[in-house]
Amino acid sequence: MSSGDSIDRRSFLTAAGSAAAAATLAGCSGDGGDGGGTEGGDGGDGTSSDGGDGGSDQTLVYARGDHPENYDPQQSTSGEVAKVTNQVFDTLIQFAAGSGGQLEDALATDYTLEGTTATLTLREGVMFHNGEEFTASDFKATWQRFTQSDYEYYLGDDTRSGYGPFTLGDWIESVDASQDYELTIELTQQFAPFLRNLAMFASAVLSKAQIESLGDSQADLGSEPAGTGAFQFDTLDNPNERIRLTANNDYWGDGPNVGTVIFKTITENSTRVQDVINGASHITDNLDSSGFQRAEESGTATLLRKDGINHGYMAMNMARFEPFRDRQVRQAIAHAVNTEAIVNQIYQGFATQASQPLPPDVLGHNDDLDPYPTDKEQAQSMLEEAGYGDGFEFELATFSNPRGYNPSPVNTANQVKSDLEEIGLTVNINQFSNFGPYLDYTSAGKHDACFLGWYTDNADPDNFLYVLLDPQVEMDAVPDGQDWVSFDSDGYNTLNVSGWANTDYMELVREAQRTYAEGDRETMYEEASQLAYDESPWVFLDYAETLRAVNETVVEDSYTVSSVGGPYLNTVELQ
Amino acid sequence: MNWTQFLFRLVEPVVPPRFVIKRLLLLIPVLFGVASVVFAILHLAPGDPAIIIAGQRASAEQLEQIRVELGLRRPLWEQYLGFLWDAARFDFGQSYSISRGNSVRSVISDRLPITLELAIYGQAAGILLGLPLGIISAVKQDSLTDHVTRIGALTGISVPIFWSGPLLILLFSTYLDVFPTSGRIKSTLFLPDTWTLFGRELPLTGMITLDTILLGNTEAFLSAAHHLFLPAVVIGVYSTALISRMMRSSMLEVIRQDYIRTARAKGQGAKITLMKHGFRNALIPVVTVIGIQFGTLLGGAVLTETVFGINGMGLTIVTAIGVSDYPVVQGTVLTFALLFTLVNLFVDVTYSYLDPRIQQ
Repeated sequence: MSSGDSIDRRSFLTAAGSAAAAATLAGCSGDGGDGGGTEGGDGGDGTSSDGGDGGSDQTLVYARGDHPENYDPQQSTSGEVAKVTNQVFDTLIQFAAGSGGQLEDALATDYTLEGTTATLTLREGVMFHNGEEFTASDFKATWQRFTQSDYEYYLGDDTRSGYGPFTLGDWIESVDASQDYELTIELTQQFAPFLRNLAMFASAVLSKAQIESLGDSQADLGSEPAGTGAFQFDTLDNPNERIRLTANNDYWGDGPNVGTVIFKTITENSTRVQDVINGASHITDNLDSSGFQRAEESGTATLLRKDGINHGYMAMNMARFEPFRDRQVRQAIAHAVNTEAIVNQIYQGFATQASQPLPPDVLGHNDDLDPYPTDKEQAQSMLEEAGYGDGFEFELATFSNPRGYNPSPVNTANQVKSDLEEIGLTVNINQFSNFGPYLDYTSAGKHDACFLGWYTDNADPDNFLYVLLDPQVEMDAVPDGQDWVSFDSDGYNTLNVSGWANTDYMELVREAQRTYAEGDRETMYEEASQLAYDESPWVFLDYAETLRAVNETVVEDSYTVSSVGGPYLNTVELQ
Repeated sequence: MNWTQFLFRLVEPVVPPRFVIKRLLLLIPVLFGVASVVFAILHLAPGDPAIIIAGQRASAEQLEQIRVELGLRRPLWEQYLGFLWDAARFDFGQSYSISRGNSVRSVISDRLPITLELAIYGQAAGILLGLPLGIISAVKQDSLTDHVTRIGALTGISVPIFWSGPLLILLFSTYLDVFPTSGRIKSTLFLPDTWTLFGRELPLTGMITLDTILLGNTEAFLSAAHHLFLPAVVIGVYSTALISRMMRSSMLEVIRQDYIRTARAKGQGAKITLMKHGFRNALIPVVTVIGIQFGTLLGGAVLTETVFGINGMGLTIVTAIGVSDYPVVQGTVLTFALLFTLVNLFVDVTYSYLDPRIQQ
């Protein structure tokens, strides 16, 4: 036994030694880790090879939940991509920081839209990060790369994002860039939202020299984007899911006030908020309800909130499910669903009840409309009047993972189910685990009812009322006396997931799309909103707030939350 | 003499090349099977790649254009043959979503070292702790040490990573603030792309602890070790538990053999008998477990990487499935299959070295 004991000791010591070494290693590095304290000002610390030679040597760390690997604004529709490209690129016109979508000068200092001609005067002396000077020909090359299949450096149908035709391609007939600082754009038709489209991140101006130098490898622009923005793209570290940007000293606008910006990725919501509370990150987004509270109670971080320009809704598919073709049935459902409970209890008060398709802040939002009051008795009697007193059964399709406009889709679906049960309707929830297949399903019109939502692209009313509720078929394709069309109709807009085709509404939003006088447009959209309210193709659920957790080392008011565009990191200062 | 001939010459005395070649040829039907299953599953799964590429804003015509460009309108058998040909060349095309516009090959070459590093640390912990614990347990059968080790091992095998991971994060990161919650290195520390050896610039390996050593960057190494510690523990616990269980039962069997008693009767010391005659013979089944275990570790990496937010092959598969990035799913799954079979081949070769009867 004594020999056995000696083996025992030796093995034990070996094991203990390894463990001690590992623990020592880990313990030593504990002091220098991410764990505690603020580190806003120590960007030069460590091995950062260069901090840029921008306004200061401070490093701003922005934590987010996802890390796409391609930062070409023409290859993505993702908001995560836009967060970075908005620092690197500029647009001709931009959304003002902290605003609800007001436009202001950017690379263009003056702009007009008359008839089908947009004329823009461009800012002089602006340099791209690659050393080239910005001129009108850069915008022309940008447009061609994105939308013109006969252009030598066209990005390609299977590479460019859906924003190509949506933002520029469908509307621009030709671009005249014969003068360096004067741009004349001919449109295919009168299109009031056009200037706003120029402010979208997908319309970011690329460098013609870079486009040409990439030749056949246009897709590679996403790993070495070079714009005119406040920060230069420095390092794309995919294995560690980080991006480093350095200050552009020659930036034409405000700032930048920090030398380096790092976008880091922490998938877990609660961990990300904790990172801001600890001071290892300065700003984060996509918070959940526990994150809001922790940030507010932390003492080292603050919660910034702003009304968002978005809408979460439940669409009733008239093209598929017959009872929904009766307006009284749709209104009855709108009366039965307790949106107040959804907003205050399920979304914890970080959203407001919706009354109409357009959120407040957007031109044409009708202030006279209030959310449908929850009244189950009225809902029941409306159903009886419509001949559905015995109720019916239908499918409610929903996605599973939280989205900004619907942070708790499954709980919301259960709330709808129990609300409608009280008026005798049976709801079968059809839950999708992935969003891609879910969109396939809804855009093919296979659902009876479904949850969806929309974050604005350009803060224009057209971006909600035409894009989501106009079927975009010819007027005479809608049969007389019918207010819906089939999803198979020629040219049908599959974003209209209710199949609604009200010709009065369609005339209004199409006319408004061509009208430039703001007052007239506003009146038309208010009328259209009233119509959508009365006809209720959707149950209007909520408008979600835009929320950010910000560490105390960020100088107050140097960072402003915007509901469209941004984040505006060029103005951020650190203590 | 090329390098393969050299390699065969080296191992020839212990493992005949015919054995290795036979095993290598067997890989082909296995990988063909995996590739076919992956192709079938992805083509049966819902989700339209065109929508993934163009996004919600794309019109019906634009989506159709993309389907044609991607070859999705070709007959299925044609797509299948094309896929097999591409897979044989390890070319899965471009990622639709998670690394848009980049080749799947580059996605894999970025991610694979991360997962291998994690699996190697897990395996190292398993071997370094599991073998001695197993031996102690066997030698001191039914003692308190044995009971504690066995209970510990059972617990280690039973506790799933998706539970132990968050628990450790909660304890060591959130409450005690000793270890970071996620990532592989401090967010403000960036490494260059290359390192220099005798004036020549060489690419880094992608294994961050090794890279920081090659760069001679102590601060970065400590930060990387600090970040890797918890994930390695989580992935190593299971491995340690399994190896120690295996080692214990194998050792118990061996020390009851006649030749052990004979050696002891001849007057050989207990320690020498145990290590010289017992250990090597007891190791044979354990090596198999270690090999298969390495494959399981790769699987465990899916959970560990997800829990700790480490962007390796495991997390990539999960993310790619979530966003229907089919080329990436195909590439990563086949890489896993290839790795798994190669590890098994290596185990077989080692096994036949330890026990030459296997070659017969």
